[in-house]
Amino acid sequence: MTRFSRIALAMSLGLAMVFAGPALAPAQSPKSGGTPKYGGHLNIMQREDLAQGFAVHETSTIATSWPSMPCFNNLVVFDQTKRAETVDNLVGELAEKWSWQDNYRNLVFFLRKDVKWHDGQPFTSKDVKFTFDMVREAPNAPAKLRINPRKDWYSNVEDIETPDPYTVVFHLKRPQPGLLVMLASGYSPIYAAHVNPASYRTGCIGTGPFKLKEWRKGEFIDYVKNPDYFVKGRPYLDSLRYVVIKERGTRTAALQAGQLDVSFPGETTKTAAEQLKKAVPGLVITPVGTTVNDNIIMNTKKPPFDNPKVRLAVSYAIDRRALITTVHQGGAVPGASMQPKPYGVWGLAEKDLPSLPGYGKPADMKAQARKLLKEAGFSPENPLRVEMSTRAIAMYVDMASFVINELKQVGIEATLKQVETAQWHPMATRGEYQIGANLTGLGVDEPDANYNENYACGSPRNYSQYCSEEVMKMIEQQSQELDVKKRLALVARLQKKVEDDAARPVLDWRLDYFTMWPHVKGLVPHDNIYNFGRMADVWRDRQ
Amino acid sequence: MKTYIAQRLAVGLLTLFGMSIVIFGMLRLAPGDIVDILFSTGGYVNPSERQAIERELGLDRPVWEQYVEWMRQIATGDLGKSYRYDLPAWDIIRPLLPVTLELAALSLIVAVALGVPLGVISAVRQDTGLDYVLRVFSLAGLSMPSFWLGMVIILTLVAWLGWIPPVTYVTPRENFGLHAVQFALPALAVGYRSSALIMRITRSSLLEVMREDYIRTARAKGQSGRVVIWRHALQNAILPVVTVIGIEFAFLIGGLVVTETVFNLPGVARFLVEAILWRDYPIVQNLVMVIAIVVILSNLVVDLLYGFLDPRVRYGH
Repeated sequence: MTRFSRIALAMSLGLAMVFAGPALAPAQSPKSGGTPKYGGHLNIMQREDLAQGFAVHETSTIATSWPSMPCFNNLVVFDQTKRAETVDNLVGELAEKWSWQDNYRNLVFFLRKDVKWHDGQPFTSKDVKFTFDMVREAPNAPAKLRINPRKDWYSNVEDIETPDPYTVVFHLKRPQPGLLVMLASGYSPIYAAHVNPASYRTGCIGTGPFKLKEWRKGEFIDYVKNPDYFVKGRPYLDSLRYVVIKERGTRTAALQAGQLDVSFPGETTKTAAEQLKKAVPGLVITPVGTTVNDNIIMNTKKPPFDNPKVRLAVSYAIDRRALITTVHQGGAVPGASMQPKPYGVWGLAEKDLPSLPGYGKPADMKAQARKLLKEAGFSPENPLRVEMSTRAIAMYVDMASFVINELKQVGIEATLKQVETAQWHPMATRGEYQIGANLTGLGVDEPDANYNENYACGSPRNYSQYCSEEVMKMIEQQSQELDVKKRLALVARLQKKVEDDAARPVLDWRLDYFTMWPHVKGLVPHDNIYNFGRMADVWRDRQ
Repeated sequence: MKTYIAQRLAVGLLTLFGMSIVIFGMLRLAPGDIVDILFSTGGYVNPSERQAIERELGLDRPVWEQYVEWMRQIATGDLGKSYRYDLPAWDIIRPLLPVTLELAALSLIVAVALGVPLGVISAVRQDTGLDYVLRVFSLAGLSMPSFWLGMVIILTLVAWLGWIPPVTYVTPRENFGLHAVQFALPALAVGYRSSALIMRITRSSLLEVMREDYIRTARAKGQSGRVVIWRHALQNAILPVVTVIGIEFAFLIGGLVVTETVFNLPGVARFLVEAILWRDYPIVQNLVMVIAIVVILSNLVVDLLYGFLDPRVRYGH
């Protein structure tokens, strides 16, 4: 960096300090349930043991992010006391203030000066640079992640600069307003630079409101209050325990019996919620979005699904609303590739859906599917025979069975192949399948994250291996659009395009009926399972 | 006797060696490995990152080399590290053993306490109404999987009482009462199934013995029915029952998977399944070997019991 540019940067930082964007205090105003009380303990449901300890940057599973949230902090986070995850609901955590500069090409964070790691070391800008240089695999990164599922989120970051211990500047290759939202995800915590990242697989040194006390493998994760937490007066609770219960029936019974105070995000179906409510009317059940969708992946590199007409026929054949009614008993909503409103920000409006394949009148849709199949050379005398792969887990198999039945009605004879978890992602990534029933969870409701992960050419999570130059341009275009209304329109066009191409037809978006006991206060489930659960504002009304 | 035990232990060692080859081979034959699972948690696969992890875990080495390394580790008392948890395998396995051994022992106590007396009653009252009731009871026990029974118990308790046993393991030192409650219900669920088997074996074995001449002689000598049954008949009918008890114990050590899962007990069986799903070879291999050792030792104890129960049984030279 030249002397001139240093001076320019220093001046702009000075100005930014004055005019910094939403200078917000950390989330600290629990709105529900009266005056907060200190003390107490909560038992929280954990569906399975930690996949890779607390190494959040090395996983993409809620089983890791949910019980890790109390240990960590982000630069910014979605307000934990508000359900909606919008830009307006972003609040500072480790960053006191932030500012976009140079027409959204530089993002400057001004860090808190009173933060300590759980081992007593001071938190500085070095930790931020360490974390994101490692995640984006910068050439001079001081450490490397063993598995790095979100490298693509930060592909637009050119450099990260730390002018002083409490200022960080993200220099971007092009404007990208969505970056701030991705930094607020539960998948974007700050690691300590003085700790080997591999050690997060067995322990957790964070800056969060709770310190890890013990992780008894396969049994529980215990946290105790962090007395040095930088938000004065937080957390309210003395301790947390995430109880690992593998069996779903036992988990539900434990919640019903009061041995657990809080359910696991994404765990409670509509039917289960109704049964729980009937058994314990006092339980607080909140229907929320999950940002998890059911979708169909089709191998676009091999016949017959290299033919867009065949892909489109599949999309037309599946009655989304019937799937929601029968398989999910109403516990899901229709939508395209972004989570629909009111659960998401970017999803298409209800009125736009009928124009998409598979969303119109079922009889018309199926007729259209038969027509397309005929054009592709398939007929009742020469039916299309395919193998439908899916993960050998009930929630996948139920959906796949429904889809097979729908395909049969238009003349596609599909046989079900159940694939063990160990084989599912290798198989999908290598394209060793014809058609598959899949679930996709989005770490954050942000088009950049979704399209770069699941639709961009060459992305390892683009299981269909769909690749369109036009779509790539559209992804780039929406990503750098600064006008919110214009960006919304671009994203709407993008959603229509990928559905019309049957790139990865989305069938529905699952809902969660998040359940907790009424004595749990200040815990607000979000419309995204990955980004809440910091627990700093949560308190217990009855000891 | 000492020679016999030494011979059996030597054969046991050979069995363990065979077991080690079988379990090692079967694990490698199963599709996928830990690296696939790790990538599954990330939702993608990257070939170069994959190779790096394989190298880190030693999975890139030839299979025979991996086997020799495992044998070397066993010989030096080091069971290697869990791939998943990055902790010494023995540190993970050790706390699981007491939980499963306790549950298996309690289940067997329930099974024997129920199975033997009911089997005797059923045999003595052959073809009476009571016999039919007991046979239905035992048939139900055999037909109902213990995990199903366990789940029914849990759901019934929560529906009627709004209560279930603790879902977090409580050690006897922490709270003996809660610990007892935590183990009582799974022991009943598992013990009921085993008792059904023991009852049927006891019944059929006793019925066979009751037809022997010496029983008729004992009755002719004027001995009471109770003495004839408990002293003469049962003592001779008990050998097959002891065999079944031994087999049941061995089965329970590895076969409590679903019961441990339903009652959320951190035992060997539940953890073994989890380790298999994760292809955590060091855990699976060593855990299976530990289970095999328990099975071999329990078989030896059963064989030694034969000699104690029936003086006609003599051990080899």
